[in-house]
Amino acid sequence: MSEIYNLTLIIARRDSADDTPRYQTYEIQAGPIMRFVDLLRTINDEQDPTLTWNSSCEHGQCGTCSMKINARPMLACELLVENAIAMFGTSTFTLEPLEIAPVVRDLVIDSDAAYERVNSVKPYIIEPLPPGSEAEEHQINPDQLEYYVDATRCINCFCCSSACISSHRTFLGPNAMLATIVRVLDPREQEKEERYRKIYSDQGVYRCHTSKACSHVCPKEIDVARFIALAKKGFLPE
Amino acid sequence: MKIDIDTTLSCDVLIIGAGGAALRCAAEILENRPTAQVVALTKVTHPQKSHTSTAQGGLAAVDPKDPLDATVYHMFDTWKGSDCTADQNVVKIICESAWEQILWLENRGMHFSRNRDGRLSKRTFGGHTRNFGEASVYRAVFEADRTGKGIMDTSWGETLKKGIRFLNQTIGVELLIENDWCHGVIAFQQKEGKFIRILSKATIIATGGSGQVYRVTTNCRQNTGDGLALVLQAGLPVMDPEAVQFHPTGIVGPGILASETLRSVGGILRNRALEPFMVDYAPKMRELAPRDLVARAIESEIREDRGITNPDHQIAHVWIDLTHLPDEVHEKQIPEVSSFFKRYVNLDTKSDLCPVRPSNHYHMGGIPTNAWGEVEDHEGHPIGGLYAAGECAAASFHGFNRLGTNSILELITMGSIVGRRVLNYLKDEVKAHHDPDPLIFRSKFEGYLDNSGSESIGILRSELRTLMTDKVSVFRTEESISEAIEVIHEIQERAGKVSIANRRLPMNQELLQRWELDNLLLVATSICHAALYRKESRGAHFRDDYPSRLDEFNHHTLVAVDHGGECHISQRQIDMSLFEAGGEHSEKFGFIERSY
Ligand SMILES: Cc1cc2nc3c(=O)[nH]c(=O)nc-3n(C[C@H](O)[C@H](O)[C@H](O)COP(=O)(O)OP(=O)(O)OC[C@H]3O[C@@H](n4cnc5c(N)ncnc54)[C@H](O)[C@@H]3O)c2cc1C
Ligand code: SF4
Ligand code: SF4
Ligand code: FES
Repeated sequence: MSEIYNLTLIIARRDSADDTPRYQTYEIQAGPIMRFVDLLRTINDEQDPTLTWNSSCEHGQCGTCSMKINARPMLACELLVENAIAMFGTSTFTLEPLEIAPVVRDLVIDSDAAYERVNSVKPYIIEPLPPGSEAEEHQINPDQLEYYVDATRCINCFCCSSACISSHRTFLGPNAMLATIVRVLDPREQEKEERYRKIYSDQGVYRCHTSKACSHVCPKEIDVARFIALAKKGFLPE
Repeated sequence: MKIDIDTTLSCDVLIIGAGGAALRCAAEILENRPTAQVVALTKVTHPQKSHTSTAQGGLAAVDPKDPLDATVYHMFDTWKGSDCTADQNVVKIICESAWEQILWLENRGMHFSRNRDGRLSKRTFGGHTRNFGEASVYRAVFEADRTGKGIMDTSWGETLKKGIRFLNQTIGVELLIENDWCHGVIAFQQKEGKFIRILSKATIIATGGSGQVYRVTTNCRQNTGDGLALVLQAGLPVMDPEAVQFHPTGIVGPGILASETLRSVGGILRNRALEPFMVDYAPKMRELAPRDLVARAIESEIREDRGITNPDHQIAHVWIDLTHLPDEVHEKQIPEVSSFFKRYVNLDTKSDLCPVRPSNHYHMGGIPTNAWGEVEDHEGHPIGGLYAAGECAAASFHGFNRLGTNSILELITMGSIVGRRVLNYLKDEVKAHHDPDPLIFRSKFEGYLDNSGSESIGILRSELRTLMTDKVSVFRTEESISEAIEVIHEIQERAGKVSIANRRLPMNQELLQRWELDNLLLVATSICHAALYRKESRGAHFRDDYPSRLDEFNHHTLVAVDHGGECHISQRQIDMSLFEAGGEHSEKFGFIERSY
């Protein structure tokens, strides 16, 4: 038999955005490789079906299950019990919703509201460059792609936005910045001017204080701060 | 508790779903008719969270510039892979339009991986051959290990640009069908806790897979086969539900996909006594035998008590041994899968044996449609204004076994084909909205809220999923399937004794899960009855008691469920138009043997 841990989960509960959270404590036993989403499911099945949370892919690819665990924004589907104990040095965990958008219930936030910021930077090619000839793909040098490919890996989990000290109302947030920066670097986008205007607006990169919290918490290990810094320097080669 | 409809919305096109198939379809419509009002529903919090975003490996498409490959080879591989049960008109349409769809994505910003010339890189996959099985070809384009995400990001962006309206966490719960015509849907807005009516001129079902019917699955939590349940509830049939694909190496316990690469780089499958067992099942090919054969070998070891039980997840498995491989292989050739083992079972592929078992992966069966995605009844008559595309649909491109990389190809090709069909339909049949009375959802949801008893949704759900994994997965027999049907009845009875603790409707996850449980039960019922009917083995459907393919079953299975819960089976012919066309290569499209 593998080891069984006795865990205490303290979970912020709220019926709607207007409620002040009440912290409810759940005691639960679990094996070392159970994920936090498995713990929440077990609580639903065995103790409290009303505890509300969200997930989808459950293997770190979609960014639905982000929440704050002991104040650190992370994906609940990627955190194993034994790793959590090692990381935080405790078997008591406080689970809270990300504070980047209003809470719908318990750990679930209004992601439509969160996504507004991403939508506002136009996460698509505004003015596509026509390919070399009809019925052909563009030719993009793999080294050029390599330069910005990391910025294409973002899954909009909003962990970076949650960690960013500047990510208050005025700053659109690191992931929204990534979404537009990637299209400044993509040779297929012709409309750079509109993108620059947003990037250098009062909601843009100058709000960033270079704390690098975004890079630190990103579950996809994207060096978000590097791209923000690149934009601050006017996209001159590093 | 009484349930009412809060509001009524009207639109031109309603798409139930916002995964790859749904978004490609929406983009086609909006690019060609910018004034169309298109509404897309998701069950998840945002379209990007749809399951397509997790597809890794690639998407098959013959590049017309490739001197070695040809579309007819892709058609042949698909036909053979399907164990001669794909519809050839559909195979032709999809394979022929594949490259055009790749260009559509590339021109709109998908970040395909590139070769040194700056052109799209290609990979080879099991079953991709040239010259009708002669040698492998490089046919799959990809975006690193994020191909599905690339499709989603690109087509979501395009629909956003063109003014689609998304209703996220808004779940279609009843199709409004009257006199063989679909007029829209009743939907539950989860966040708001409201039921709304959406009237539309055309409705497209694009709800994705049904993997949650099984305990161990690579599919996401929302894949509860809703689309199949919606049509079954409306008295329409589903096609080939017994055709369910199992991937041989899902990671225990979540079932996360550990790709074929593990075996191609030299991984060895071992049982509890650490014996390399593949040599007993496929003496020559061993670990490199096709997916279904390897899955059956692993399942046999587990069945004959030579497996291991994982203490945390209580799931039986075998080992994949990669410890003998040089560090360079771990770091360069299998970094993603190695990281999955590290992340989800805390094991190091360099030094530890890793636990794997067959995992439900893909539903070939689905809502029967013709080659333009129009949903058909059991006699092959299309239902007016109703379409289906993507994994929930069966046109059928995959028959009884899907080739890797052919699914996300189907999403974008059929998505755009259905889009074009809908455009024609909107032109020709502009009708006023009609508003038939919903028949089912009120009594269903009021019932869920009024029921009392001590049964738990979670426990019933896991009993059902374990039952299907034990009795109706890789191996099936008359006895095991019949037993499953009986237990499903019992679970259905017990489901009437679930009481919902949470009485407030906004973000009521219990209520939704209760509804999903009904869908899982209905889809499981259709799988069981079709599997019982098909007394042969074909593609992914393997009957221990009838281990060979039989000509008398050269047809599709249609299953409908009546209001009393009784199942009715009928048949649909396989389209053989490539074979019947005669001429060069047509003989390759007969009922050939599927041997590799
Ligand atoms: C791990 C993994 C890897 C894979 N890799 C590959 C690969 O490399 N190549 C390949 O070809 N295939 C691959 N596949 C298969 C492929 O990803 C899927 O078949 C495909 O993505 C399904 O797409 P879809 O658009 O039909 O459905 P989905 O992407 O699942 O979208 C369904 C949509 O419908 C919504 N929905 C569902 N029910 C309702 C409802 N009742 N009301 C409203 N909305 C609803 C969902 O929220 C979602 O938006 C893989 C599958 C898995 C699991
Ligand atoms: S580096 Fe800038 S964007 Fe990143 S967390 Fe710090 S302030 Fe925010
Ligand atoms: S940059 Fe990283 S942390 Fe931020 S949203 Fe994207 S994936 Fe999440
Ligand atoms: S559920 Fe998809 S990232 Fe956690």
